[in-house]
Amino acid sequence: MNIGLPGAGIGGLYYLTCTAIMPIRELLLTLKNPKHKFRTRLVATQLSIATGIIAGFILIYQLASHFIGFGISITASERSDMALFYSLLPLAISYGLLIVLLLLVELCAFITKQDKLAKHKVKT
Amino acid sequence: MVEASSTVLESSVTSCPVTVIVPAYNEADCIADTVNSLLKQSLMPEKIIVIDDGSTDNTAEICIALGVTVITPPQNTGSKAGAQNHALTHINTEYTLAIDADTTLKEDALEKLFSAMGDPDVVAACGFVIPQKVSTLWERGRYVEYLMAFTFYKEVQEYYEKPLISSGCFSLFRTEYLQQINGWSLQTMAEDMDLTWTAYQLGKKVRFIPKAICYPIEPHNFHFMRKQLKRWAHGFIQNVRLHRKGLLQVPFLRSVVTVMCWDASIASIFYLIALPILALVVSPAFLLGYIIDLPMILVPTLVKAYSRGETWKALASIPAFLVLRVVNSAIFLEAIFNEFILKNTLTTYEKGH
Repeated sequence: MNIGLPGAGIGGLYYLTCTAIMPIRELLLTLKNPKHKFRTRLVATQLSIATGIIAGFILIYQLASHFIGFGISITASERSDMALFYSLLPLAISYGLLIVLLLLVELCAFITKQDKLAKHKVKT
Repeated sequence: MVEASSTVLESSVTSCPVTVIVPAYNEADCIADTVNSLLKQSLMPEKIIVIDDGSTDNTAEICIALGVTVITPPQNTGSKAGAQNHALTHINTEYTLAIDADTTLKEDALEKLFSAMGDPDVVAACGFVIPQKVSTLWERGRYVEYLMAFTFYKEVQEYYEKPLISSGCFSLFRTEYLQQINGWSLQTMAEDMDLTWTAYQLGKKVRFIPKAICYPIEPHNFHFMRKQLKRWAHGFIQNVRLHRKGLLQVPFLRSVVTVMCWDASIASIFYLIALPILALVVSPAFLLGYIIDLPMILVPTLVKAYSRGETWKALASIPAFLVLRVVNSAIFLEAIFNEFILKNTLTTYEKGH
């Protein structure tokens, strides 16, 4: 069940980030619990997919900046810097937005938890 | 209530303490395939119950002829959840497999799903969903959507032990858990999501087993696709409302749901309204926004399609997915408008095919 815009938006970035964290988390789990099996295949598969997606993004940016220069009228010497700036801008905005949203939800979770604890204390 | 042909399944293959429940309303066209695929499982369920929820066709007769139990509620229950709840009182096995009447299974699907129940904390497990028929624009769009989501998103969710949803079309449950929460909720249009989120809030686990594959029939035209998407969109909003406080106490799930809310609402507005305006007023370069996420769709889809020998089929279906998601986002915005502005909550369950 997918709603809205599957594939688009900051959801993609979120899952890419989660995938990037996988090997680190897996390593920590292994160190913490020697019985834990490092899930090499799963992590490798997901990392490969994530790498493929990032490579695809880079390719699209490269092609777009090469052929249309993102619609900006600039001189040849300025082209590479401007193209880089404009190509990274949406990514930076999206990532910033994702971080703000995640921080907000964590803050809400923290407040709700404190509220619950306070109510529990009053009761007991 | 009428009960017919209570045949105990006998087979040379190993059986497991599972009762399969199949809610059905006028499913004569596809119920035989579903029941036959259940009868061919490598791990046999103890009992198969079809809930004939007031069908006017010969759904019940077909099932009786195939030797499975058919129960008929006194009147149409009005929803899939209602029919499933009716069946819950007839279950005396440790596990319950809920499957849609239009869904067939790969031969080892139940066996794979059953393996997840080794952990006593696991109360539900779901599998990989692939459309049974892929020919119309809508079926093709759904095909890509599932390949992408189940290969990448759901695998990540499973890794972090929080699959967003135990799919309603094919899920195995601990019967005790279903009884504990009084069965499938009638409060939302997405009872499977409600059931999954409730499990997390109770400290239980839900698993996604990618090797357990099921094949549902997806909506083949706009009329039925719209009904299904509408039900999903309203169901999601209803679940967020219902579980908003509880959700905040479940790490990872709260992030997934937040990001999903953002993408489905704000990103949809940007995608459908802001992008075309910006492309017209500022620069045509903004049209890149429509293809910039193509790798996100293409890579996981093709990885899975390649492993299934369906690369060309998947590639040819990509444009259909782009159409489907525009429709999906428009319907979600409509659902937000109805639920929040008009306070018009969807309460009538309409079949998606």
